[in-house]
Amino acid sequence: MIKKVYLDNASTTFVSSEVLAEMLPCFNSIYGNSNSVHSFGREANAIVDRARDRIASAINANKSNEIYFTSGGTEADNWAIRGIAHAYSNKGKHIITSAIEHHAVLDSCKKLEEEGYEVTYLPVDRNGLVSMVELLHSIRKDTTLISIIAVNNEVGTIQNIKAIAKIAHDYGIIFHTDAVQAIGNVKIDVQDMEIDALTMSAHKIYGPKGVGCLYLKNGIRIEPLIVGGSQEREKRGGTVNVPLVAGFGKACEVAVRDMLINQQKLRNIREYFVRNLNEKIEYITINGHPQQKINGILNVSFDMVDNESLLMLLDMDGVAVSIASACTSGSNEQSHVLKAMGLENSVVQSSLRISFGKNISRSDVDYAVDVISKAVAKLRSISALTKAGRK
Amino acid sequence: MYSNRILERFSNPRFAGGLRGANGSGKAGNEDSGDVVKIYMLIDDGGIISSSKFKAFGGVCTIVASDIACEMLIGKTLEEALSISNLDILDEMGDIPQDRQYCALLAEDAIKNAIEDYYKRKEKEAKKSIE
Repeated sequence: MIKKVYLDNASTTFVSSEVLAEMLPCFNSIYGNSNSVHSFGREANAIVDRARDRIASAINANKSNEIYFTSGGTEADNWAIRGIAHAYSNKGKHIITSAIEHHAVLDSCKKLEEEGYEVTYLPVDRNGLVSMVELLHSIRKDTTLISIIAVNNEVGTIQNIKAIAKIAHDYGIIFHTDAVQAIGNVKIDVQDMEIDALTMSAHKIYGPKGVGCLYLKNGIRIEPLIVGGSQEREKRGGTVNVPLVAGFGKACEVAVRDMLINQQKLRNIREYFVRNLNEKIEYITINGHPQQKINGILNVSFDMVDNESLLMLLDMDGVAVSIASACTSGSNEQSHVLKAMGLENSVVQSSLRISFGKNISRSDVDYAVDVISKAVAKLRSISALTKAGRK
Repeated sequence: MYSNRILERFSNPRFAGGLRGANGSGKAGNEDSGDVVKIYMLIDDGGIISSSKFKAFGGVCTIVASDIACEMLIGKTLEEALSISNLDILDEMGDIPQDRQYCALLAEDAIKNAIEDYYKRKEKEAKKSIE
């Protein structure tokens, strides 16, 4: 049997045992509908309340009722962008976002454009940072919403969220951030950072798939995306998925509780990985911000090597990585993030996203780097590109 | 996403690498926008392609299409080689995703460019011998 090493934790993580233990009773023991008034429902509702408290506390929300459960990060992003834009359409129809958002935000903006809204997609620099000057220049009288991803999911660059939120508020504009990759990696304090709306997802932090939430500061208006019930204070219809929500709450609590120790470990692993890569493979480029980045995501380009071919060779030896994000793989579209950062096509087309999880060991790294170096050598020996041909 | 047949050929391509003494080579594609395929051919005095190899910068399908193209070329006259189309290559590949079918076009273009390169070299040689 071949060894297997999972280096795609930015796509999804395993469910930790603590989280699983929290969820299990909610499937067949505490199975009431949390909206029912009888004891079964009240018991389930107590679980949901506890999860809401845990999440609110993880991001320092002022009130737990500012957390609205959704089916995941994508729904929360869709809802925030479209729901807030629609609720404030009387004030204006201009939105500002960045070119390196997740497709859940970008495609929601596209939908709004079809409805007659105008969207500014802010450029980023070579490290993936949004330009504050461009942001200031793009603000208009009819701008109602600014949405900027907190931590990019492909390169791990951390944006200056607090500064961006401050600018938004100086002009009376609502600020939303997709923080799916941020929780557990960087400290998020929605009050201190003046965040009005924030997207989270459970399955990137050792929680279950299919659940996320939107933090929405009390007082910010939003139109519902899903209707058909009075759940979530009449803002999001549908029976609350109690087991998933219970797991999400626990996952958030653990992510914040263990953040320092996990970050220390991930930093060591990342440094060890990069050192090994540099020792074994020539002509590699690390993409993203050199300092302002999370430790769990490493985006690397291997000169002259196509990333799909590399990914498939690695998979044959049990090493799982990804190209761009899992949400775009399967299509032949290359990373819109790296393109927006101004990287040449050949660098983009040779980039892999390697993302570490908290259970990784040094022997996993040794094996993975060994497999990568062999695959890169094999593909370079048959590459139609040459070093001389590269800029 | 890919059939076992495609993956098997991808991991063990039979005609990958350079070709010493090649007298025709053609490139298709551009690294500024996507995949690149280079096909090398050795054409004997009787005008038959006796050997062919490829180099590629591209995904699984690009490597497999190039490998299949080389296999198809060997033993053919230049005229026969010119008639190889991307559809023939796709046929041989079997089921591949729609958005990867461009790989066979690249292989076809590289074949055509390699044959053109061979004729250009011949022409040069002929001119030289006249002088």
